[in-house]
Amino acid sequence: MTISPDDDFAAAEYALGTLDASERATLAARRLREPELDEAIRGWEARLAPLAEAAPEIEPPGDLLPAIEARIRGASPEAPGSAAVVALERSIRRWRAAAIAASIVAGVLAIGFIAREATRQSAPREYVAILQKDAASPAFEVTVNLDKQELTVRPVAARAPPGKSYELWIIDAKLGARSLGVVGETSRAASLSAYDPVVVADATYAVTVEPRGGSPDGKPSGPPVFVGKLIPVVP
Amino acid sequence: MTIRGGAPGEPAPTGAGDDLTGLLIRIAARDAAAFAALYKLTSAKLYGVVARILTRGDVAADVLQEAYVRIWEKAGDFDPLKGSALAWMATIARNRALDEVRRVRPASLEDQPEGFEPAAEEIDPLAARERSEGLARLIDCLKALDDEKRAIILLAYYRGLSREALAKRFGRPVATIKTWLHRSLAQLRDCLAS
Repeated sequence: MTISPDDDFAAAEYALGTLDASERATLAARRLREPELDEAIRGWEARLAPLAEAAPEIEPPGDLLPAIEARIRGASPEAPGSAAVVALERSIRRWRAAAIAASIVAGVLAIGFIAREATRQSAPREYVAILQKDAASPAFEVTVNLDKQELTVRPVAARAPPGKSYELWIIDAKLGARSLGVVGETSRAASLSAYDPVVVADATYAVTVEPRGGSPDGKPSGPPVFVGKLIPVVP
Repeated sequence: MTIRGGAPGEPAPTGAGDDLTGLLIRIAARDAAAFAALYKLTSAKLYGVVARILTRGDVAADVLQEAYVRIWEKAGDFDPLKGSALAWMATIARNRALDEVRRVRPASLEDQPEGFEPAAEEIDPLAARERSEGLARLIDCLKALDDEKRAIILLAYYRGLSREALAKRFGRPVATIKTWLHRSLAQLRDCLAS
């Protein structure tokens, strides 16, 4: 294990639950980018988990199953290709956790606790967006590196209808929709050097169905079928 | 079903270990009936975990729902070789509850004395009659801690108390609680590894 003793204690306290909100959020964000830390947390969770067996049962208030089933039905992937979808759902959850963590950290910052964090958080350089129809249908993963002014789009579960192509757009109130190119079945990078980093960070990213090879006139031919916004990847 | 639930050789006192693992595997294949069965078998257990951390019943019920949605989504991640199905589910539910209790207010137990009366209802796993192999080993290691240090670990686990809340409760400085936690956790780790 390459993890420092301090980090191992932090992992242990994360699993035990004794960290305060900001420490917990910081660790939740770090584990996304530090596999050893993530592994350490899992290890501690596994060590402590048998305690749950000893917690006496309490009947939940009323039958919650119908409500849970309704939520699951609303969130079930309708399409096959489920391995990719499951993999992406996993990464969506990680990114959501990062986003929640970021918002908690931001909240703490607003109160003015951690100046060091503030400097670090003030200008995130990496972003991610999941483009999806709804929470259940993730289709593309977009990552943006502001330092490199580069965007990478990775198709996950989407396949364009026969004879059509998927095209990725950056959409901003002032810019309108600008094409970032056609998205095939493999990952592809696109340069963002033509765009202001503030616009890049705040823009909406969308995929439309276009004639094969892309929109003939540089404008989306129809409404977006998958959309998403960037979330900063918390250091 | 060739995949066993729980740790190798686990006695699975209720006989439920294998069932839960089988259900999770079916759930990973999107079997709604298996999910309903899993809920019926485990909801009171998981609610027992989250409701002790989240003393407000409406919040606890909501977190329980979210936990089951996650269990449905993540069933494919469950690895029977790394622990029991129940432990896996409880970890999901508990993490969700901890995120919520920290988000809502840092010291919920002190602020919200409604609901469970903590003093009247401490969980003592050492008194548990039915023990999986994993719990039995953990109990042996917990027994090696001083009473007060063991109580701190158990309160943190079952009630989701933060260091600050533990400090208040035990009348010790936060720094002391932190040191104790670290020592106790290191001792548990070494004991479990031995």
